[in-house]
Amino acid sequence: MTRKKAVVTALCTALLLTAVCFVMLHRPHGDTVVIKQDGKVLYTLDLSKEKDREIVVEYEGRRNVIAIEDGDIYMKQADCPDHVCIHTGKLSGGAPIICLPNRLVIEYADGRNDAAG
Amino acid sequence: MKLCKLIPVIAAAATLCGCGGQHMEQYQMFAMDTYVTLSGYCDRKTLEDAGEEVRRLEGLWSVNIESSDIARLNRDGSAELSAETAGLMSFTLSMSERTGGALDPTIYPVLREWGFTTDEHHVPDDDTIAELLENVGWEKVTLDGRSASLPVGTAVDAGAVAKGYAADIIAERLKSGGVTAGIVDLGGNVLTFGQKPDGSDWKVSVRDPFGDGAAGTLSVGECSVVTSGSYERYFEQDGVRYHHIIDPATGRPADTGLESVTVIAGESKLCDALSTALFVMGEDRAFDLWRESDDFEMIMITSDKRLLISEGIADRFEPDSKKKDYSAEVIRR
Repeated sequence: MTRKKAVVTALCTALLLTAVCFVMLHRPHGDTVVIKQDGKVLYTLDLSKEKDREIVVEYEGRRNVIAIEDGDIYMKQADCPDHVCIHTGKLSGGAPIICLPNRLVIEYADGRNDAAG
Repeated sequence: MKLCKLIPVIAAAATLCGCGGQHMEQYQMFAMDTYVTLSGYCDRKTLEDAGEEVRRLEGLWSVNIESSDIARLNRDGSAELSAETAGLMSFTLSMSERTGGALDPTIYPVLREWGFTTDEHHVPDDDTIAELLENVGWEKVTLDGRSASLPVGTAVDAGAVAKGYAADIIAERLKSGGVTAGIVDLGGNVLTFGQKPDGSDWKVSVRDPFGDGAAGTLSVGECSVVTSGSYERYFEQDGVRYHHIIDPATGRPADTGLESVTVIAGESKLCDALSTALFVMGEDRAFDLWRESDDFEMIMITSDKRLLISEGIADRFEPDSKKKDYSAEVIRR
């Protein structure tokens, strides 16, 4: 390998790595949402690409209906007594949507903040 | 140029764009009637072990686990408590005294009557509430070292402090196990410790009780942030909304014109206890207590959409610029 070729290779590698890292760090995060039940990921959704629809999830005979509407996601119906998950409203920068009785969690794959207190 | 000469170039490029940063591991579980997220710059096993500790504490404190210290005390009227439970009870009672009874572990039978511990919600009639209130009062609890006793008819629940108390124990455990930084989040009972590798502050959102998302974001160092709000756990009957924060003085949901109280302090147990108590006390009494204290700061969101921020935290709280209907006010000492 000539000296010139080596330098070009080095520069290209560095440039490529920088580009990859830049994309990884600066991709518009917060649009990818995961729906998990009892720790298992059921769905990974990119809300910016999802069409309006409803997802039904069952747990021990009880149902949750999750709605995706205009790029937002929320709990539309739940066969649980407290309805905390419905009261949480649309998923946003704050806390995840949680249905404790049905062990269901909807949260951003890459949260905007470290936590919601 | 040899390959070894390329390595520094590649490494420099990687470091420059931040790929050399440490990864924060996460472990999530359902425990203590909430969704627990443990995060730290450590391996997953360390977090799983800490999760086991959360589970163990739940087994000591849950009113719904028959073998727990608290359930035994309620059933038998007296019990020898584990060191952790005795510590929790002792701290809870000291906070009851400090808040003039706004926090009271003996409110449990009233809370149960409303159905908030069983999810069988209903509005109790006046006579039932009056009868139950006769057995309410934190002074009725006798705690001598690890021996606790209750008069007949009185029962306790440490639910308003347990998550905070647990968060402190878990963070201490992680730190002594060599974890340099992380977050213990017990369903919004948040505790941060150490510093992120990039030196930046921890960002903790404060929920907007009126809508989606956050009312604002706190940028903090090592501390705890806990919110008590009326906006999530509630039920409606005949068009009236009843939330789960019961005023020990009336036996009914605290009606103080507040939607949420967020407390920021060094210890999570203090945040947890105070967030409930200050909600019950209302704006004026809460700020009176804040003025005579130096160990916590707070953010209150009122029903008429005022954001009241104690001055010690004002420069670390940024209200969400999109939420224009709030009026923010910094409260001075």
